[in-house]
Amino acid sequence: MGRYIIRRLLQAIPLLFLLSIFMFTLIHLMPGGPDQVLFNPHLTPAAREAMRARFGLNDPVPIQYVKWLGRALVGDFGFSFATNLPVTYILGQRFPATLQLFLPALALALVLALFFGIISGVRQGSITDYALTTLSYFGIAMPAFLFGVFAQYIFGVWLHILPTSGMQTLGYQLDPFDAFIDHLQHLILPMLVLSILFIAGWSRYMRSSMIEVVKQDYMRTARAKGVGPVRLLLRHALRNAVIPLITVVALDFGAIAGGATITEGIFAWPGMGLLFFQSLEARDYPVLLAILMLSSVFVIGFNLIADILYGVMDPRIRYS
Amino acid sequence: MDISEQLNLSNTTEEEIEPFLEVTPALVQKRRSQGRIIFDRFMRNKAAIIGAAFLVFMFLFCFLGPTVTGHNDPNATHVTSVSDTLAGPSWKYPLGTDDVGRDTLARAMVGGQTSLIVGLASMLMAIIFGVGIGSFAGYYGGIVDNLLMRFTDVILAIPFYLLLFVLSATFTDGSPRSVIILIAAFGWTYSARLVRGEFLALREREYVLAARTIGAKNFSIMFRHILPNAAGPIIVNATLLVGANIITESVLSYFGFGIQPPVASWGSMIGVAQNLIDVDPLLVFVPGLLIFFTVLSFNLVGDGLRDALDPYMTER
Repeated sequence: MGRYIIRRLLQAIPLLFLLSIFMFTLIHLMPGGPDQVLFNPHLTPAAREAMRARFGLNDPVPIQYVKWLGRALVGDFGFSFATNLPVTYILGQRFPATLQLFLPALALALVLALFFGIISGVRQGSITDYALTTLSYFGIAMPAFLFGVFAQYIFGVWLHILPTSGMQTLGYQLDPFDAFIDHLQHLILPMLVLSILFIAGWSRYMRSSMIEVVKQDYMRTARAKGVGPVRLLLRHALRNAVIPLITVVALDFGAIAGGATITEGIFAWPGMGLLFFQSLEARDYPVLLAILMLSSVFVIGFNLIADILYGVMDPRIRYS
Repeated sequence: MDISEQLNLSNTTEEEIEPFLEVTPALVQKRRSQGRIIFDRFMRNKAAIIGAAFLVFMFLFCFLGPTVTGHNDPNATHVTSVSDTLAGPSWKYPLGTDDVGRDTLARAMVGGQTSLIVGLASMLMAIIFGVGIGSFAGYYGGIVDNLLMRFTDVILAIPFYLLLFVLSATFTDGSPRSVIILIAAFGWTYSARLVRGEFLALREREYVLAARTIGAKNFSIMFRHILPNAAGPIIVNATLLVGANIITESVLSYFGFGIQPPVASWGSMIGVAQNLIDVDPLLVFVPGLLIFFTVLSFNLVGDGLRDALDPYMTER
């Protein structure tokens, strides 16, 4: 196992190296560089040239890449073109907001997906199963942004009970408690929209692996020796049925650094996803690169974690 | 000649058996072609039939609808007074008009053409890439497989939408063609892995060895012998991919990165109408529900095909 992990980690290095070249090239190919989007249009050509030189945009792209790589390897992602703040500082500000959105959404999704999956897996073919299956079909066929827009209409415009965008109500001085409640109200819609997508996918996995497990011989044995239904379900069936789901959850968790790009974009939730949109528009190369690299590291890392968990949960699986 | 004689011979032997089968009609009924069996199995799946029927209706609605109903001018602004903009449903405009007085029904149909064409065309391109790359990797194995699969890994390691947003800012000019190429360029990874897996398993089969002994070239073994046997999963994947691509297109267009005005697509219609949702929610709900039901139908048909094409599903 230890050797397997080390080998996978070593494999990740060339992968990340290739990725960084790919993305650096891609970003520098974008039309309308930062000097056209950001800088003051009234700048004299000489001043514009000075700005470009300051950001190191006059070097050939390969040279820029080597310089960037040298700094990035020691954790220095440079300064944002748009705000002149260190990129690491900006990410440090935005990442907690994404976590605030992601963690409750994932927790809610996990609980509900387990619950729905177990019910429809155990009562396969029942009306409940059909209803849940239909619902999950709807969830999969509905693009995230549609959920978002429909939810904004129903809860924000029509029922008028929840705010539709941002992280807090602007322009009011609220005492800490009210501010907290206000914050939670802003969190509800994006969190629900994000979790519905996970619930729809995960409960399908849970259902099919539950159906597999319920048929196993050891289940009959356990029932024969007098294990009660609840204990049978939770101790004997769930432990085996949950293995495939854990992998999927770990994989989905890898998306966290990219932020819930779409959900954050719709609800203007100021996390990594919204930061990505803003820096894409501003052609803020250092921030964009940092987000892309960080999210790729997370995807690769959680892929590895998923594989390791798979082995831990199911001792029959051996890695060579 | 020799072969055809042999074929005739086998035919006559079959016909000799035929009278025996007529005695037991249940057995005769079972002698159906492979395609017929799959078709019958598919037809028994009610959800898949409803999906297929809805898709046929959707194609008619989008491609013939404009001519039949006369709502064929998506960009004309029918404004004679302020009350013509953001109008609700009426006889003249069954789905109302948008903020500049354009006919929502006409835009929904023409936008549907864009969305469906983008979905289908990008699926076709992605499947061709995926089958090409996957079959080379799976058939040759070794270093070819390693190189192609590492390349796939690189693409899979970047969050899909982040990559697409960056790319569409770089390469697309807002025309449907550029969006098709963009979606296809990064939609082939799953089918490549799928085809590779199938090829890895199938290349060890006896019929491949048989084909090689009679002197078939690698190329013809790959595409004449192995590929037809891997067709089932590819077809299922292709159907599901159309739905996924329609979603991708609408997400891109919704955020303003995909199809650009004046060309209508369901996604861009929602993106524009979102700001007006408190005034005229119909402008969001019409294209939104069309996307939803179309994608749902593609998924239902895909799952129906998966069940129908599965050789391990025993018939009862």
